[in-house]
Amino acid sequence: MKKFLRTIFLVDLFQGLWVTFRNQNPKYIYTEQYPAERPKVAERYRGAPRLNINPDNGETLCIACNLCALACPETLIVVTSERNEQTRRKELTTFTYDLSRCMFCGLCEDACPVDALELTQDFELATYTREGQIWDRQMLEEGPTPTQYKC
Amino acid sequence: MADEQKPEGSAPPASGGSAEPAKPSAETPKAAAPKPAAGGGHAPPKPPAPMAATPWEDDLPKQVKDRFGGQIMAASSYLGQNFFAVKPEAAIPVLEFLKLEADFDYLVDITAVDYPHRAERFDLVYILYSFARNERIRVKTMIADGVKPPSAVGVHLAANWIEREVFDMFGIEFTGHPDMRRILLPEEWEGFPLRKENSIIKQDDRWVRENLGIESGQ
Amino acid sequence: MPETTFLDSTELVLNMGPQHPSTHGVLRVILKLDGEKVMGTECVIGYLHRGVEKIGENRTYQQFAPYVDRMDYVAAVSNGLGYCLAVEKLLNIEAPPRAQVTRVILTELNRIASHLLWLGTHALDIGAITPVFYCFREREEVLKIFENYCGARLTTHAFRIGGLQYELYDGFEEQVKAFCDMFLPKVDEYEELLTNNRIWVARLKGVGILTGDECKEFGVTGPVLRAAGVKWDLRKAQPYSGYEQYDFEIPTGENGDTYDRYMVRMQEMRQAVRIIRQAVEKIPSGPIGKTPKVIKPATGEVYVSIEAPKGELGYFVVSDNSTQPYRVRVRPPSFVNLQALDRMVRGGLVADVVAIIGTLDIVLGEVDR
Repeated sequence: MKKFLRTIFLVDLFQGLWVTFRNQNPKYIYTEQYPAERPKVAERYRGAPRLNINPDNGETLCIACNLCALACPETLIVVTSERNEQTRRKELTTFTYDLSRCMFCGLCEDACPVDALELTQDFELATYTREGQIWDRQMLEEGPTPTQYKC
Repeated sequence: MADEQKPEGSAPPASGGSAEPAKPSAETPKAAAPKPAAGGGHAPPKPPAPMAATPWEDDLPKQVKDRFGGQIMAASSYLGQNFFAVKPEAAIPVLEFLKLEADFDYLVDITAVDYPHRAERFDLVYILYSFARNERIRVKTMIADGVKPPSAVGVHLAANWIEREVFDMFGIEFTGHPDMRRILLPEEWEGFPLRKENSIIKQDDRWVRENLGIESGQ
Repeated sequence: MPETTFLDSTELVLNMGPQHPSTHGVLRVILKLDGEKVMGTECVIGYLHRGVEKIGENRTYQQFAPYVDRMDYVAAVSNGLGYCLAVEKLLNIEAPPRAQVTRVILTELNRIASHLLWLGTHALDIGAITPVFYCFREREEVLKIFENYCGARLTTHAFRIGGLQYELYDGFEEQVKAFCDMFLPKVDEYEELLTNNRIWVARLKGVGILTGDECKEFGVTGPVLRAAGVKWDLRKAQPYSGYEQYDFEIPTGENGDTYDRYMVRMQEMRQAVRIIRQAVEKIPSGPIGKTPKVIKPATGEVYVSIEAPKGELGYFVVSDNSTQPYRVRVRPPSFVNLQALDRMVRGGLVADVVAIIGTLDIVLGEVDR
């Protein structure tokens, strides 16, 4: 009998509806109003690459060892260097990174012995042209500058 | 297999646009983190050592050998995983015997490996599992190019799509299969991708040149 | 008197094309219908074929690990675990205990995330629009943990061959424990929404029955096999990565229909929380593993499989003593499970096809590789 009443009065359906109504409380709003509020991503987030610069003397930390290029599964890093005759070390000349093929796996960051190449928290990497996705050394050192929306 | 592998194999890690800066610096980093140590120049490749398999002595191989005799070429085990190497015509009878008499009722996978330097270039591997014994074994045969082995669909229904995929990727046709056609690639595709002579660099170059009209960046 | 003629009725062939909201990816199902009853189906797959196995032959062992995540993109951590276990077996090394416990925690979190996505999308296909929002809200919490740990939410590349790359971050245990405490009441909430709901029961009970014997014949594994009554789980049968230390149950169903698969997956989420709670208590200190610099395994081949959220995910790796694998074969659970679709839909209606594709929990990235 009880079962019959439960069926007639749609008890199971109301039970589900009650869950939905319970969640209508504004304190459960989960939506992030992007682009007004940008999400705070984790410290270890694998985003845009950056070539770090030594803060003391303004020179690049990269020693042009080419380990990142060898580690990359997509072989999209091209490092050129020239030999400095005075210090007899290699110096970095150009560093090209093709962001369109990058899968942000982090193998290049893991391979770098001096922590020069780092994947930062920037995730807004859209460009209007395919050539804009190929970053040279200057772009890598400065980083992308996405538009900040104020609304 | 080694000489076809190595030129293509070393190309992806060491190239990427300019080979010159990669080669001199390939020698310098000794503590090379994850990359091929033989990326730069290397000696002419010698064939690799054969698999260090140990013979497998147990009731099951004895049973199988008694039943099939000379058709079982070896029963060995490598790293704790047991397998039979059988002659091609014995593969399906062995599978049937294992299913009916030894409780290996679950066909996990069928796959093939291409060794183009061998006369019988394909290594066809059947992986079986038994729920009752909780054991997994492999049955391997070697077949040449053009040979059409019989299909395992009569013994295990699971072989249907898996054999279609082996045909699609390697070109090994199975006789007696209800629906032998390509499964993953389009019907009109020519060639069998997973054979070793199809290099992915050359395929990429050719496709990009034909369809996009430019030279590929690889 | 005009003669009455009867039109011959033939089968209607209907295309449930690759672009379809309910096929969970690019899956084309050609239905042969008699009115609304399904007489037979034919699946056309391969729209997402990227040639992962061929790529594997041209990358080193470490370089191939990110590609593996992209097959079953919903549960990337499991794919990585299977691959790392296979290569570690080939090298005959084992990850240290701390790495193993962390791997278990992340893999079980991944199982919860995968089942949450399954529940949300399956309910959405049936017509229940609410669960998808709640499930994705909980999935966000799991993805935040992954992001804090390895830097990526979906294609995590969390494990390395030989152990882990990243040390556990501060607050990992607290965040995981907080998640577990928050999550169990939510599972009850999903059950409140769906389990006794008459529409849900009517849509799912008795639909798509696949008995235990049929499952074994077709090679179907995972929750589909367990819902048919076969109590088999690779984590118990052939434990890997320290699963034998944890105490958990294997939920099974009785009839092998869609409703039982739903119940099995809900219970699996609860059991996953149980495993995570046990594992978080006992994270040992120690090294997290050393990735070998140059991986050159001896010539040989090995097959290792794990219990992925979708079934038995296996890796058959053949090595020829060089730095690149000679052959990597991935045994995808969704590919083999999808074969059984034809058997399951016979005699049902078109709406049941949608429910059955949803309940098989296929991910086309894995089916096509």
